[in-house]
Amino acid sequence: MLRGVDLALPARSLVRVEGANGTGKSTLLRLLAGIDAPSEGRITGRRPRTAYVPERFPAALPFTAAGYLVHLGRVQGLRTADAADRAHEWLTRFGAAAYARTPLAELSKGTSQKVAVAQSLLAEPELLVLDEAWTGLDTEARGELDRAVAERVTAGATVVFVDHDPRRLAGTVDTAYRFEGLGLTTAPLAALDPRVRVEATAPPGTPLPAGLPGAPAYTLAADGTASLSVPAAHSDALLRALLTARPPWHIGGVAPVPDPQPHRSTTRDGDRTP
Amino acid sequence: MTALIRYQADLLVRSQRWLAPVLLYLAFLAVGVRSGEPVLDSLGYTAAGMLPVTAWLVRVCVTQEPPAARAVVAAAAGGQPRAHLAALLAALGCAGLLGTAATAVVLAISDPASTDHSVRVPLPPAGAAGLLATACCVLLGAATGALCGRPLLHGRGWSVAATVLVALLALVTAGSPAKAAVTGLVSGSLTGTVHVPVLPLLGAAAVAAAAVALACRLTAMRG
Repeated sequence: MLRGVDLALPARSLVRVEGANGTGKSTLLRLLAGIDAPSEGRITGRRPRTAYVPERFPAALPFTAAGYLVHLGRVQGLRTADAADRAHEWLTRFGAAAYARTPLAELSKGTSQKVAVAQSLLAEPELLVLDEAWTGLDTEARGELDRAVAERVTAGATVVFVDHDPRRLAGTVDTAYRFEGLGLTTAPLAALDPRVRVEATAPPGTPLPAGLPGAPAYTLAADGTASLSVPAAHSDALLRALLTARPPWHIGGVAPVPDPQPHRSTTRDGDRTP
Repeated sequence: MTALIRYQADLLVRSQRWLAPVLLYLAFLAVGVRSGEPVLDSLGYTAAGMLPVTAWLVRVCVTQEPPAARAVVAAAAGGQPRAHLAALLAALGCAGLLGTAATAVVLAISDPASTDHSVRVPLPPAGAAGLLATACCVLLGAATGALCGRPLLHGRGWSVAATVLVALLALVTAGSPAKAAVTGLVSGSLTGTVHVPVLPLLGAAAVAAAAVALACRLTAMRG
């Protein structure tokens, strides 16, 4: 049950909702997605074209993955041919193209979740509501969903999400709300992972060792000087890997990377106010 | 709305849960309809059987999706009422097709005569009366299914019990449009006169519209 909840969803924004289990996150998301109507209070504004991804998508439906997506694309207003093309495109992006002709009932839990996520992106929704949509996806698909969310926001849509990982889409979230008691308060935005820069030197022409911890971003100069940046949690492991490499790297310096501004400066055009 | 109905109808066809009510109806017809029997009697019987069968088909359609799939469709469709309406209309459409086909077969194989085979019964008005009576029963069956299932009754046991009871009452209670339409056919058969049930059809349509509207409105609040 929710009471005294007041929030506005501007266009072109990414909104995070957090709170302990059972505080009403899913209820709020269902109200925002237009699935349920509030028994008191109201939701104002034009109903945007909406798509919703539930936390668990038990796929006990007698369709193939592609067949289901085509139906959902048509429900969202696409023509059949468009719906089929986009179904294929999104299944491919999430690495599930091989399962297009597989009955939903035979899909693994993760692949069903990919189908659930794909349906929400078919028709470029104006409001995308993700209730722990990342749960059950493999790492590549999680990254792809992060990118898809960023694309939707860039295209002017509103994306509202719940996820247990506090770092999910950190740095791109515009507003975060937290459930406390029966109310909803604005929550501080999760900062980006602090990063550490490592300067290292080796004889000119030495490549960096493969598979460095923390997948560092790096620049490698011709004189054998490398500058690597990793999340702070991986810096020790990175140093160890560099020092024990053959030939070993000489560490020239280790320093924290200044925190980039977590807020994006975007222009807000038009407010959607459910 | 077309896409939604298409989705629901495809779901119904592929789920094969339509088989039980349709087979029951065929068995019911096989027991009660014989080639060469008086046409109006057989039409009345055929129409009456459609009422519980439609209620069953509606029940199948409104319960065939898992809640998560229903939520996904409701969000895409702009709310649960629209999604629920599509499920009800898909069931109504399938029941309408079944009833029309059964009526056509009965018209083709029955003897166009009164019960004692003494008075000729003209086939076109008999066919019209049979179709309208079937429509009455289909509409009341849809109303029954809509009121005795989700979102008004959630428990399976209560829902099935209520569906059976209300379907039976809709067929035998005086004043029910279905009872009026079926009785009109069967009693007309005694004298060979055709009563086209226009008023009962209007009544059944009003009841069905009210029941469907109520059920759809409630889905947004009670699931």
